Amino acid sequence: MTTPSAYTDAPTRRFSVGDRVAVKVSFPPGHRRTPHYIRGKRGVIERVCGAFPNPEELAYGFSGEPKRVLYRVRFKQLEVWPDYAGPEADWLELEIYEHWLEPA
Amino acid sequence: MSEHTKQPHDMGGEAGGPIDTVDHGMKFWERQANALRNTLSRSKIVRLDEMRRAAEDLGARYYELEYFERTTHALRTVLLEKGYFTQAELAAKMAEVRKRYDDA
Repeated sequence: MTTPSAYTDAPTRRFSVGDRVAVKVSFPPGHRRTPHYIRGKRGVIERVCGAFPNPEELAYGFSGEPKRVLYRVRFKQLEVWPDYAGPEADWLELEIYEHWLEPA
Repeated sequence: MSEHTKQPHDMGGEAGGPIDTVDHGMKFWERQANALRNTLSRSKIVRLDEMRRAAEDLGARYYELEYFERTTHALRTVLLEKGYFTQAELAAKMAEVRKRYDDA
């Protein structure tokens, strides 16, 4: 038996593929799904993953509703790690919830 | 500022050190604990997100515990929070099981 996916379509959303975004610089306590190293970095929406119950609420026993839209965001490695020694064209992808993103 | 609120699991970008690639297998109690955790998770008595949060809240102890110790501790924390049993009931049950083991 597999657990059914929580995926639902995200017809109403703030961002679309290709949009430039910045990750919020915020350090709230508690269960957060956005790693510290990516906060404040700028990237581009690579895909819309769908809408899911908010894990930052599920973590405390709440329903996670309303669902939050999850995006896959592409960052240049050089943007993320200033002393990155690899090729300039290298990128990094992270999945980040909409409430952590701002237009850039 | 961010260092004060960074949870122990959020280690992206830190020096990782050598990686242990040896398959250590699973001890008997680890199999039992994992089965219990999966069963309770599947029946939605506990959520994966809650157990992640409970593990992250271990702070410095997070690194002192092995993987299954950490996840089992988190399961215990969430079940206590939700009132499935009390600290006293858990202690009594553990003493009972310990006695059964010692007498065998």
